[in-house]
Amino acid sequence: MLIGTLVYGFVNSAILALVAMGFNLTFGISGVANFAYGAVYIFSGFFAWILLNSAGLPYIVCVIGAIVGAGILGILMYYTVILRVKGIALSEVMATFGLGLAIMELFRYFDFVGFRYTLPIFFDGSLSMGEVYIDYQRLIIALIAIALTTFLYFFTRYTKIGLAFRAIAQDERTALTFGIESDRIGALSMAFGSALAAVAAIVILPLGTIAVEGGYEVLINALAVCIVGGLGSTVGILVASVLIGYAQTFTANYLEPHWMILVSLIAIAVILTIKPSGLFGKQKELEERV
Amino acid sequence: MKGKSFRWFLLGVLVLCLTIPTAIFAAGKPIILGVPTSLGFLEGKEGLFCVKMAVDEINAAGGVNVAGKKRPFKVISIDARGAEPGVPVAEVIKAHKKLILENKANFIVFGSFRSECAIAAMDVVGQYKIPMILGTAMSPAMEKKVQTNYDKYKYTFRVCLNAVYLIKYLGGTMAYLNKQFGFDRVFIMNKDVAWARKTGDLMVKLVFDKMGWKVVGRQAYPAGSSDFSAALMKARAKKAQVILPIFDMPQSGILVKQWKSMRVPTLIAGFISPLAGPAAWNSFDKKIDGAINSIFEIGNVPVPKVPKSVEFFNKYKKRYGRPIEAGHSPAPSYEMVYILKEAIERAGTIDGDAVVAELEKTDRMGAIGRIRFNKGHQVIYGQDPNETAMGCMVQWRKPGKRVIVYPPNIAEAKIQLPPGLRPAK
Repeated sequence: MLIGTLVYGFVNSAILALVAMGFNLTFGISGVANFAYGAVYIFSGFFAWILLNSAGLPYIVCVIGAIVGAGILGILMYYTVILRVKGIALSEVMATFGLGLAIMELFRYFDFVGFRYTLPIFFDGSLSMGEVYIDYQRLIIALIAIALTTFLYFFTRYTKIGLAFRAIAQDERTALTFGIESDRIGALSMAFGSALAAVAAIVILPLGTIAVEGGYEVLINALAVCIVGGLGSTVGILVASVLIGYAQTFTANYLEPHWMILVSLIAIAVILTIKPSGLFGKQKELEERV
Repeated sequence: MKGKSFRWFLLGVLVLCLTIPTAIFAAGKPIILGVPTSLGFLEGKEGLFCVKMAVDEINAAGGVNVAGKKRPFKVISIDARGAEPGVPVAEVIKAHKKLILENKANFIVFGSFRSECAIAAMDVVGQYKIPMILGTAMSPAMEKKVQTNYDKYKYTFRVCLNAVYLIKYLGGTMAYLNKQFGFDRVFIMNKDVAWARKTGDLMVKLVFDKMGWKVVGRQAYPAGSSDFSAALMKARAKKAQVILPIFDMPQSGILVKQWKSMRVPTLIAGFISPLAGPAAWNSFDKKIDGAINSIFEIGNVPVPKVPKSVEFFNKYKKRYGRPIEAGHSPAPSYEMVYILKEAIERAGTIDGDAVVAELEKTDRMGAIGRIRFNKGHQVIYGQDPNETAMGCMVQWRKPGKRVIVYPPNIAEAKIQLPPGLRPAK
């Protein structure tokens, strides 16, 4: 039981980290709390499903299509809506939340309701570790979470765009004097954040079905991890994912699964009381931003 | 000659003037059917489709004969979102009031999705004397209310299965598993909502305790849960032979996939809504063979011994281009419109009290079997389609077929154990 809890706790942590990574990236760079994040996640799932089942494309093309599609959606959201309210935190939240609602309800309106909306798993079968069995898809989720974290680490340190991201995140005005255009980087951060949401959707959704209401759940999880870890901090995201992921799994295994949601909420409440900027956060005005 | 033609022309115009308004008048004022449901859920969506299908059929055949006048049905639906987590009961009640007061609904069909809402809505329809026929909410509390305060709550009826009948079908299946394979250790997993909790409680009290089964564990999952490994590990550790799932959320299909991938040596037998429809086989990567699932009302599965269920199943597929997926609500939603039509025609009026009196006399052979109401205004479900309405249990078999395994009257085959699970006797 304990080994099972540790294994599934790790997978749960990886899922939370994957889900929160895109939200955190966008906020860390452009300062925009993208409340349409859950909707982008669901959009990616449905978009991949449409490409696979309606257009009949090979699955790898659908995966790439969904990631690129989510990135384009992020750019469109930035230039059409976010740019107009940028810098006004409350308006940003309301605008992105409204956008998210619109996207999700559009899917509902166009009859994307039911149990047939699923994405294929990457590899069939499961691995046994003594009495504990775990399916390959969950292992892939954990591997992709690790790979993506490593990629982001190197990307933000050794590529031109990555360095520009960090420059804007550190000091927008100084970055401007170096010729880094903040709006372009803001749009790119939305694109990257959305693409990361798509990656999370592509690997996590094959575990179950794509449901519109799943978007809200993803947003809540992303918010919980980011608030606890500290908005904008990659290390914070990883630590918070592990803390919340294991706390949830231990709660489910040794108490009751219906207390799991309380874990995230209690973690948010405790962090906001003790250290409002999060465990590793540098955003001093967290309460105003979220 | 010209004058004679003109006279004929005038006569023609006169006849036309007299007949057109008569025809319009004869078509009659529509009878409004208010549908306050949860369209974001498959049961809600397909239930509404079925209401519309029945309404279109009735209207195409001339409408409802109300004391000699043919009146069409008109459907006005509201997405009350009652099934969604976090939506307060008050919002659903508002939807009922809007339908009754603004849209002037003469009847409420299909009704609220969740029992919490449906039971609260009984007061609203009682206040305005508007008959309401339920199609998803399952709590037996509805019948208690009708029987304890008949004059106030007599306006509410239910065509779909209630939790008590669901328990009878599940209990019958458990008795079969005990008799056939000697199983007597069960682990219960249910969604953390009123109907599922109550069903789990009643299964323990009325079935497992009485039959001498040991409930080795029980876990409730909140709506939206997508990882069931905790309960599956416990079921394995406590050597459960049967897992009884009670879920009606899209994510619950994950449970069966996890059961397969974690190779838990148990039989899954219960209700998982995503497993009810024919698309489940492909949706869940062909990994659901062996799982036994409850179909709350036949019609989702065509039963050859109930020809109207086959007719209904095919009609739906032809009209909407795909088969019914929801295991709860579609056939009752279709039938309730016909039940209402017949009651109105017998009453000769759309007056609430008169229609209620006629609804109570319903005796109809339909897509779910024989339809009659008990004293609590619940359609009676049982084992023989010639006597009662029917639900059933199906087992998923390769290559993606749903085989009816219970009740014996309509069973197509016997229950098979999945690989790795041996009989206990």
